[in-house]
Amino acid sequence: MSAVGSSNPEYVVARVRARRGSLYGDEEYRKLTRMSPAEIARFMEESSYGTEINALGSRHGGVDLIEYALNRNLAKQFEGILDWSEGTLYDLIARYLRKFDAWNVKTIIRGVYTDTDQSAVEVDLIRAGEFDDRRIRRLLEADSIDAVIEVLEDTIYGDPLREAYAEYEETSVLVPLENAVDRAFYERLLSGLGRDEPTRQYEAFLKAEVDFRNAINALRLARSGADIDPAAYFIEGGDLFTRGSLARLARNMDELVEYIADSQYADELGPALRELEEADSLIAFEHATDAALLAYGDRLGTIHPVSVTPVISYILAKEREVENIRAIARGKEAGLPVDQIESELVIT
Amino acid sequence: MLEATNELGNAVLSTGGTLTDPNAAAALAVGLAALGAGYAERGIGSAAVGAMAEDEDLFVNGLILTVLPETIVILALVVVFIV
Repeated sequence: MSAVGSSNPEYVVARVRARRGSLYGDEEYRKLTRMSPAEIARFMEESSYGTEINALGSRHGGVDLIEYALNRNLAKQFEGILDWSEGTLYDLIARYLRKFDAWNVKTIIRGVYTDTDQSAVEVDLIRAGEFDDRRIRRLLEADSIDAVIEVLEDTIYGDPLREAYAEYEETSVLVPLENAVDRAFYERLLSGLGRDEPTRQYEAFLKAEVDFRNAINALRLARSGADIDPAAYFIEGGDLFTRGSLARLARNMDELVEYIADSQYADELGPALRELEEADSLIAFEHATDAALLAYGDRLGTIHPVSVTPVISYILAKEREVENIRAIARGKEAGLPVDQIESELVIT
Repeated sequence: MLEATNELGNAVLSTGGTLTDPNAAAALAVGLAALGAGYAERGIGSAAVGAMAEDEDLFVNGLILTVLPETIVILALVVVFIV
């Protein structure tokens, strides 16, 4: 609880908890997996997605409508949380939500690179981060990567992008630029966190996320056998890997799996790792990391009831819901059978 | 707020009586209880407003929970009648 000053955390946590109660549960997912895309849209219209479905219904249809409505609702909810919170709480939440800024920057850079139509890029943006509408408009209007970097000059992405731009000009592949954006985000994520107990738990959660991201990247590299330096994809800040150990482990798949199985995440990821060894399927591993993070977030939200952790727990659950609905809609569109779609969902 | 409490204590002391005077001690007890109730209500109140913003049906529940710490003050008032 906030000892002095405004009682802002109490307000934000109460609102977030109320919203959490209206997220879809097992029952709704079971219904959704048996519906056609049009029925899913109808079902969403009657729940918390009503406004978005109605606003976009005249312009889009089918799975696109569901997808855009999901993105817009996600953005609205997260913007709301940032609007309500103040001070330290704002800082802690914004850290995490900046990943949508990073996503938007990468989407826009890709759009410029492939010369995609402005409106086609715009619908793919998720306006949940810190960038305001004006900056996003200017980013969309930028017609070269140089211009995009110029708009971002005064943000945390400015300098790293400027440095990566030289490399981009030489090789004309986007990887250095995208890595620069990701690294700027992750560096900011873990720097200068407070030392009180809830913040420490939040930090432990963020570190787990970085570890999982590194593990997935390393597994992908190890499996593809491509001749790419794994250290170039390394994200600082996690507990599990160092730059050197990741580079060494990414060369040998068996060693890497064994290393993760011996780590502190063994309990959560154990079954998925065994499946990885048997079936050679990374999807199960990625789902297991998602489920582990979600369960971690749930647990986190109950230890310190009035702190940043319930908010983060809600943000994770909401993201998961959006991804689940999207998976159902896309799966239905592709005509996948129900049990296969259900295996794609991450529900705790 | 703590400074205010100090001043309150000083005022009680400087007007002749001491805190061993039952009436002064009872007054201080009620005052401190009210202070505690106010502090408790502050957190509950903002949480209640947050919950109400999401769902208006929670107005009654929010109101009841918000004023619940007032019972501390009522119990403290009993002290006044005892001394």
